[in-house]
This record gives sequence, structure tokens and C-alpha cells, in this order.
Amino acid sequence: MKQVTLDNKKAAGGERLSFKYIKKRLSFYIMLIPGLLAVFVFSYCTMPGILMAFQDYDFVKGFFGSEWVGFRHIHDIFTMTTYRTAIINTIVLNTVTILISFSLPIIFALLLNEIRDGIAKKSMQTISYLPHFLSWVSIVAITYSLFARDGFINDLRVLLLGQGTERIMFMAQPRNFVPIYIGLYIWQSLGWDSVIYLAAISGVDQQLYEAVKIDGGNRFSQVIHVTLPSILPTIIVLFILKMGTMFADNFDLVFGLQNAYVDFEVISTVVYKSGIKQANYSMATAMGLIQGVFGFILMAAVNVASRKISEVSLW
Amino acid sequence: MKDKSVSYRIFLAFDYILLISLTLIFLFPYLNIMAKAFNDSADTALGGLTFYPRSFTFQNIKTILGDKSIVNSAFISVARVVIGTLVAIIVQFLSAYALSVQDLKGRRAVLFFMMIPMFFTGGLIPQFILYSKIKIINTFWVYILPYSFSFYNMVIIRTYIKSLPQSLLEAARLDGAGEFRILVRIIIPLSMPVIATVVLWLMVGYWNDWSTTLYFVTKKRLFTLQYLLMQVINESERVQSLIQQAIEQGLSGNVKIQTTPESLKSAQVIVTTLPILCVYPFLQKYFIKGVMIGSVKE
Repeated sequence: MKQVTLDNKKAAGGERLSFKYIKKRLSFYIMLIPGLLAVFVFSYCTMPGILMAFQDYDFVKGFFGSEWVGFRHIHDIFTMTTYRTAIINTIVLNTVTILISFSLPIIFALLLNEIRDGIAKKSMQTISYLPHFLSWVSIVAITYSLFARDGFINDLRVLLLGQGTERIMFMAQPRNFVPIYIGLYIWQSLGWDSVIYLAAISGVDQQLYEAVKIDGGNRFSQVIHVTLPSILPTIIVLFILKMGTMFADNFDLVFGLQNAYVDFEVISTVVYKSGIKQANYSMATAMGLIQGVFGFILMAAVNVASRKISEVSLW
Repeated sequence: MKDKSVSYRIFLAFDYILLISLTLIFLFPYLNIMAKAFNDSADTALGGLTFYPRSFTFQNIKTILGDKSIVNSAFISVARVVIGTLVAIIVQFLSAYALSVQDLKGRRAVLFFMMIPMFFTGGLIPQFILYSKIKIINTFWVYILPYSFSFYNMVIIRTYIKSLPQSLLEAARLDGAGEFRILVRIIIPLSMPVIATVVLWLMVGYWNDWSTTLYFVTKKRLFTLQYLLMQVINESERVQSLIQQAIEQGLSGNVKIQTTPESLKSAQVIVTTLPILCVYPFLQKYFIKGVMIGSVKE
């Protein structure tokens, strides 16, 4: 049996890519057709569209009839306030969000790991995943309801600060946007992001704990000297990967939190508004291109860094 | 491993308190909206609702489910989940299986071709122009076709298929079984765990997506539940701010507030989210498995 397998492989590996070969393997090539077609049409066919960023694209005149303007739109994006602000907003919002939220799933996983009661641990974990399965739209709806004039948060304020406390329209105040955005991001991702750390913690060599114990260390020093160093590679890799998403943004959440009073814009909301709503195709494409290029450069840099530090890389 | 010292017990007590409060924070917002959905709307308007309905009623849910546009959008959402998932898993599984064949000529080239778009795509506007040109804007197909392939899912399935015992396939081939027959009789039954995992990701992704509708659909007949929910959020927020402004300007005498959109909005959140929340506790192991496979891959 084994001999046959080896022989088969050798025979196939040595064959030339001939008509006969393709005929023999035809069924596999047929299986690849739907996937190749989907990738070609929906990914590759959009790529030439990027050239719109260097044109004054006119939907009626089409791609070949529109006028070429070179780097004018790219230049405009870095000089016009709307676009520049959106880029700065995206970077600032991501930086602040990562700095505030990154360590929380690690702490949550460490705290959860101390719970020995299986049922309690399992239920807490399951509940912490709940927000991850809600759509951002429903999260936004819940938030509006919670922070409404007659919502729970205002009720709580009245209860704690006494009758006559002014009821605040939280969602209509621009300065509340960033805190609410970060709060919702943490609420949605904290439980789910801890999954990977819990797995890493459960993979720690138990003998190391014993060693610390023999040296007279307590549970706290076990965590400091064994658990944390053991999961450090995971932490570093995830942090680096997170940094790579600095130019990505959460369209659903930002767009959902915008209203008549709050107009915090990030790259994707500007692309949607100027591109699809105002049919300003070239500017919006240029904006998307800048996001894509910066994002790609950052991912590549991050990947090199990750490979250097931990020998783990995406490609 | 165990630590019985006093200081550790104190820590453990704090740990429990902290984690239980956190759990409540995860749970409370949803319970609050659920209480609103099942509470009498006149009673809700009095305020002070916490995590249980004070005056239980199905009226809000009934009103929502009696609304024609909601029923229609629920149908669209379900159709998208079913058809979209089916199409995507077939496309992705076939690619994964063919690419799992070690000695298939051109395998590396195809993999590379499929991987490039992970890092480099046209972006929203070129997509929009392309979809207009191939006339799938404002059709049901815009919900299905662009999402039929995912490199990430394909790699996950492929990794799994590669781990299956190869001798089984060789034996079937020696018996003269065709590749499609092997696929249906052997590979698919053995791959059920990874199929379940990817199918669940696809279903949740399709159900929760709403921006596809925003970008590419203007026909009311094709709106999804999530999109309808977004519309209600914007409208009721607008209504509420108008009422608020009117009150502040001392015009409240002229404005008769007959119903709050609040209860209906809450009921709509429940209708939109409950299908997933009822099943996720039982399916979470499949999702976690996905996170693990992904991290190993990285």
C-alpha cells in the first residue's frame, strides 16, 4: 500500500504539464474554476479602477473618455481639510483605541485563569462573547437606547446625583464620540480577544509553576515569572499585528455613531460620502488608494518586525 | 499550583467580584433593551427600566412582526444567509480541495493568484463602478457573488483537508473512483468539522452585514433587517432631537407626543439579534476552533 502511494506521487510529480496530464487531472481544474472566476471578477477587475484616482472620472464618458489629471487628487487630499482631517482622525482614533484596549483582554484572561470552578468560568466566558456576535448596527441601537434622555444612564445619574439633575443628550455631544467609540470597541472585543490568550496560558508548561513553588514563590510570583513570560511571544505578535491595522477603520461603528450633531469622519466614511453619495468618484478612489497603500506598507513593515522578533510572520 | 495563603484568598475574592461585575457589564445593555422590547410602551415612557420588563407585553414584538417591510427584509436576510452561505462554502471548499492535492501542476500559481487580493484591492469606488457595469447593483446577487470567495476560509479548509489520512484517498483512487466521487463520498463527510466552522462564520457574517445594502442597494424590496434597523436608529434619533429642541424652545405645548419610537426600536433590535444570540452559546466552540486554527496558521 505504502509503496503504491510513493510510486503514484513520483509518477505524477515527474509528469510534464501536457494535454494528457490536464485531461487526467481535469476534475481538479474544474473545481478551481468557480473560485478563480470569483477572484478574477470581484478582486482583479476592480484593480484597474484605481486609475480613476488619476483621472477626472466621468461615469458617462467612462474610463477611456475621462481626462487624466495625474497626482492632482492625491495632492488635494493632503491639502483639503475634510480629507486631511479624516486621515488624521483615523490614525489618532486607532492609536488611542489600541493603547487603551490592548492590555485588557490579557488581564481578563489572567483573572479568568485563576477561577478554578469550571461552571463559573465557562459561563463568564460565554457571556463575555455575547457582544462579539451582535452586529455593529444593533450595538449602536442599544447604545442610543442606553444613553437616551430617558435611558438607563440618565436614570442612574438622577438616582445617584439626586432629582433635578439635568438629563444629558450624550449621543448628541461631539466630545462624547471618542469615549463612546472606545467603550463600545472594548465592550465588543474584550471577551473574544481573550480567547487566544486563554489558549496560550493553558499551554504553559506546568513544571515551571512547580519550580517557582519549590523556590518559595506564591501564586502571584508564578504569574509574573512564568505565565507572563510564557505568553509574551503571543502578546508581541498580536500587538504588532494590531499596529498593522492602523489605517483600517470601523465604518459601521463610526457611521452609526454619527448624527445631526456628531460629524466625526474617518477615511471610510469620507470615501462613502464623497464617492457614492456625491458621485465624486475620483477623489474618493484617491482617498481609498492612499488608505490601501499606507495600510499595505504598514502591514509589510509589521510583518518584517514580527518575523525579526518572534520568527512568526503572515507570509 | 494551588496557593492557600490568606492574601491569595483575598485576591480570589476580589477576582470573583471583578469578573462578576464585568460579566454584568457585558450582559446588562442587552437585558436592558430586551426589557424595553417586552415592556408596555406607556410604562417605558415613565423611565427607570432596568433589566426586566415591569409590565410584560408581546405588543411591541407583534407590531414589529406585523410590519410588511420588516417581514420582507427578514425574508431577504434569511435568503441571503441560506443562499450566500451555500454558494460560498461550495466555491471555497472546491478550491480548497483541489489546492490540497500536493502534486497538482500550477497549484502554487493559483494560490498566489488568489492571495494577492488579500493585500491589494481596488477599494469601494472601483467596486461600485464595476458592480454598476456588470449590472448587479440593486439585485439580490450583490449580496451573494462578491462574497463567494474568501482566501482566509479557503486556507483554513485546505489545512484541514491536508491533515486527513492520505492513504484513504489513495485506496479509493486505486478502486477506480473518480475525483468527484471521492470528494462527495470521502472528503466531505470527513471534513464536516471544518465545514461547520466555516459555515457558521459565513452565516453570522451575512446576517450581521449591513453596509453592502448601504453601498449597493436602493430598492426597498431588497433591504435587509440590519439595514432597516439602521434606518430606524437615524429616524428616531432625529425625531427625539426634534422633540427635545421643541421642549427647550418652550414649544412643547404644541407638540403632542403620542408614541415613543423607543419601544418599537428595542423590539426591532431583539428581532434582529435574537436568532444569533439563541444559538451562539451552543456554537461558540466552532468559532473558537477557527481562532485557534487561524493563530496556528499565522
